[in-house]
Amino acid sequence: MFHYIGPIAHGIGSTLTITFAAYAIGLVLGIPIVVARSSRLRVVRLLAISFVEIFRGIPGIAWLFILYYGLAQLDVQISSMTAAICGLGLIAAAYMAEIYRAGLRAVPHGQFEAARALGMGTVQVYRSIVGPQAFVTSFPPAATYVIGLLKESAVASVIGAQEITGVALGQQQEASTQGLSVFLAASAVYLALSLPLAGIARYADVWLARRVAGAEAA
Amino acid sequence: MESLDDSPAAPSAPADAATGAPVVSGPLVAEAAAMASAAGIPRVQVEQLGMRFGTHDAVIGVDLEVAVGEVVAVIGPSGSGRSTMLRCINHLESPTSGRVLIDGTAIADPGGREPGPRELAALRRQVGMVFQSFNLFPHLTAIENVMIAQVKVLGRTKAEARTRAMQLLERVGIAEKADSRPRRCSGGQQQRIAIARALALEPKLMLFDEPTSALDPELGLEVLAVMRELAKEGMTMIVVTHEMHFAEDVADRVIFMADGRIVEEGTAQQVIRHPREERTRKFLRAVLDR
Repeated sequence: MFHYIGPIAHGIGSTLTITFAAYAIGLVLGIPIVVARSSRLRVVRLLAISFVEIFRGIPGIAWLFILYYGLAQLDVQISSMTAAICGLGLIAAAYMAEIYRAGLRAVPHGQFEAARALGMGTVQVYRSIVGPQAFVTSFPPAATYVIGLLKESAVASVIGAQEITGVALGQQQEASTQGLSVFLAASAVYLALSLPLAGIARYADVWLARRVAGAEAA
Repeated sequence: MESLDDSPAAPSAPADAATGAPVVSGPLVAEAAAMASAAGIPRVQVEQLGMRFGTHDAVIGVDLEVAVGEVVAVIGPSGSGRSTMLRCINHLESPTSGRVLIDGTAIADPGGREPGPRELAALRRQVGMVFQSFNLFPHLTAIENVMIAQVKVLGRTKAEARTRAMQLLERVGIAEKADSRPRRCSGGQQQRIAIARALALEPKLMLFDEPTSALDPELGLEVLAVMRELAKEGMTMIVVTHEMHFAEDVADRVIFMADGRIVEEGTAQQVIRHPREERTRKFLRAVLDR
């Protein structure tokens, strides 16, 4: 098993790239979606809800197939890495929007009222008062999600991305009989990545709850 | 901070206001009062205010005028519409009928022209509000709580805001807690921070929604002491409260509400000591004779 770890480690870069680039898309794109969900316009609300439900409902593997080969049909050529990042990024946005929404709902109504009573406009209320509090509540589920996304990035192998699972599949075909060892090695590499990530998340959570929200200050 | 030297604390002051003689208080307050009384515009006018939640009428046809510098206590059973009425005055609730005017400008006017979001925010800046549950911002320290609206709403620099916030915290007696988070403060301290936060925008009017109801009796006293000071300095205040002693000592006028209506109003002496209405008597027996 151990001699597979070397080759498989070559996939680490791609796995991390897909994971964090998709996550970044999700973190950013999740914000307009959660804002759209509470829009005064019904059409906008419906669009946001549809987005969330569609991208939470379609399995990543199917969605990447559709995106990659669908675009190819339209003569749009993108690399499998780009397709994986964008495809998983949209799914991440749907999940992050829901995580943000839960975070916002956890902020007591009195906070909105106190901020409005001080003459703050909607944008100020969210940016200075509600946002920072929602962010702290959103952090633990968001950190859990990034670990899930690390594993989910394995689906990029179906469109040929050479990330950990993609490399492992190649190794398995070469070796033909040694499937078990290859995937034990791949699993060990995934664990080696997700365990420190979980550790960092736990540390950041404690640190955040104590500091960051307050440091945003006046 | 100007304090009174020659004007008696409370109940006799409105008599002066009623006769049109300017009440002498601190220089700034006196000036403001003189200007407003010259213009003849009350600080707050509530006209035929109605608030309906679904099929329930929380407030029915309430008329109320509050003069500049006047302190009005609103007493009555919980659920009588007192808080709802108060919340309509700074438009935290949108009334379903009637009008609310601050210095003659409509802040709520469902039948006519309602202020837009910007205008509403500008009007709210002139009205400070103190909540039963304090609603301090937990992610900010005490002083940041008092600074934030100054910076974000008034556009003051952080340095200016900090100086002003520190003065206010000193004034409400909790300068030593300036750098503490709200959760590290007692309820009484939190409510005093909340008062400082509201005062930071230099409001023309302060609304208090059961400011001591969530507090231990002793901690409530700290808060009431700050409110007494404010009243003495000539702040216009509407106080929804169950604190009868405070109402008697501080309020120029007491209003008794029940079932969404004003049942009785007058001086504290009249309403609390010599109520005319049976409904008022029943309530006061429950409060005073326990």
